[in-house]
Amino acid sequence: MNDHPGSSILLVKGLNVSYGSFHAVHDVSFEVKAGEIFGLLGPNGAGKTSTLSAVEGLLKPQSGMITVAGYDTRTKPLHARANMGVQLQSTSFQPELTLTEIIKLYAGVHGIKLTAAKLQNILTDIKLEESATKKFGQLSGGQQQRVSLVIATIHNPTLVLMDEPTSGLDPQSRRQLWERIETMREEGHGIVLTTHSMEEAEAVCDRIAIIDHGRVITINTPQALIDLHRNDPNVVSVSRKGKITLEDVFIGLTGRTVRA
Amino acid sequence: METIIPSTASALSSLLEADFKTQWRNRRSVILVLLVPVIILVSWKGIIDKMGGAFALSTCITIGLTAIGLMGYSNAIARDRDKGVFQRLRVTPVPTWSIMISRLIVQLAMIMLLTLFIFVVGYEYDKITLSPAGYALTFAVSFIGGAVYLGLGQMIVGLVKNAETVNSTTRLVYFVFIMVGMFGDLGVLGVGLKKIIHWSPYGTVKAVLSSSMQPGSWNMDTTMALVATLLYAFIFSFLGIKWFRWSSQ
Repeated sequence: MNDHPGSSILLVKGLNVSYGSFHAVHDVSFEVKAGEIFGLLGPNGAGKTSTLSAVEGLLKPQSGMITVAGYDTRTKPLHARANMGVQLQSTSFQPELTLTEIIKLYAGVHGIKLTAAKLQNILTDIKLEESATKKFGQLSGGQQQRVSLVIATIHNPTLVLMDEPTSGLDPQSRRQLWERIETMREEGHGIVLTTHSMEEAEAVCDRIAIIDHGRVITINTPQALIDLHRNDPNVVSVSRKGKITLEDVFIGLTGRTVRA
Repeated sequence: METIIPSTASALSSLLEADFKTQWRNRRSVILVLLVPVIILVSWKGIIDKMGGAFALSTCITIGLTAIGLMGYSNAIARDRDKGVFQRLRVTPVPTWSIMISRLIVQLAMIMLLTLFIFVVGYEYDKITLSPAGYALTFAVSFIGGAVYLGLGQMIVGLVKNAETVNSTTRLVYFVFIMVGMFGDLGVLGVGLKKIIHWSPYGTVKAVLSSSMQPGSWNMDTTMALVATLLYAFIFSFLGIKWFRWSSQ
């Protein structure tokens, strides 16, 4: 990675996304810098995945501007996609292909030629050298997540987008994934992740945006969010341990109602 | 940092390699596509002389093409859409059309394999031979006929989101096509239905295939059938592409 730490690699400005008459994302704006882990937090249906999908080019926003590494996703979609690595919420690969074939396919579509030694290094790095001939469906949840991440970053992208990357993982696999995400940050990648785990957001994110009903409510560092909302009556009323946590801030700002 | 955009040719070659491997590992579905036409060809051995080699071969190829478009292609597309395989590919720096083109090239190879297989079985088992022009023209026409059923399969995947429902719908359409098409064409279901079937996607494809096997028999009726076949292919593909959604969610 050659990007200067602190330089902007994702810029979202005035983003609006609708599904028919349902307005899922309202005027969302944020910026992610190189070497930063940015968390998008929100209840179910808050607009997190819609925002990420718009950045990924999977859905067309009604209005707004998105640039990835300086490339506008509307006018230079291939350049923007070449600079981003994506780990989708429910990623799947052709079930007939082996792990090696899947890695080769995604290297190929990114214009990367993989030598046998390079491929071996990748498999060793994700501790799956003995599963090279296994199909994706034969791997455990943690192994699948490691494969998804290695494929998302096979082209060394400037920006990595991860939609609930630790969902369904056991504590060991989750810790391992956090370490990998932190290593990517040290290498200068900008990372955007969505999560429902406040523990995760507090542990790994440099900055957090809380999003609800398609609008960004607040953006700040986890500690600053706690400090800023410490005396908010809504936050204090949901506090359970006498000490304000990020979860208290989140519930205080987005409400106690369970979303479908 | 330098941005690497892979050339379309290199991306397409990676996609093709993966798609051909996927097809190869789905040998059961390939065998099923080839099995029904071969069973028909073998079971008609005693009456081939009466109905004519071109009639038998064109019927078998038409049924095989129906299976490729309706059973093979549409189900594979519906399954991969349901599993999110397309969404994963769409976030890579390849033009989205190349993802579909790769799938279609594999189906064209299947059409070639089917046509060749029917010719070989027809020759080995029923001693049916065609002129070199007949073989060449039949190959070309089988691609046009294949486009009708691939378009129809695409239309069903466009209309129906759920992979299981796509599977049952295509099976039903396939069954109707071969039962009503084949028996109606033989005149078993009455003269009125025979006429309707003659101008249906089943009948026009079969008529053009039959005439292409005997280029000397090509007439105005065949030309009209070819025009209808091209129209079916265009309409089905247009609607199939228009209605298609990359995600089932």
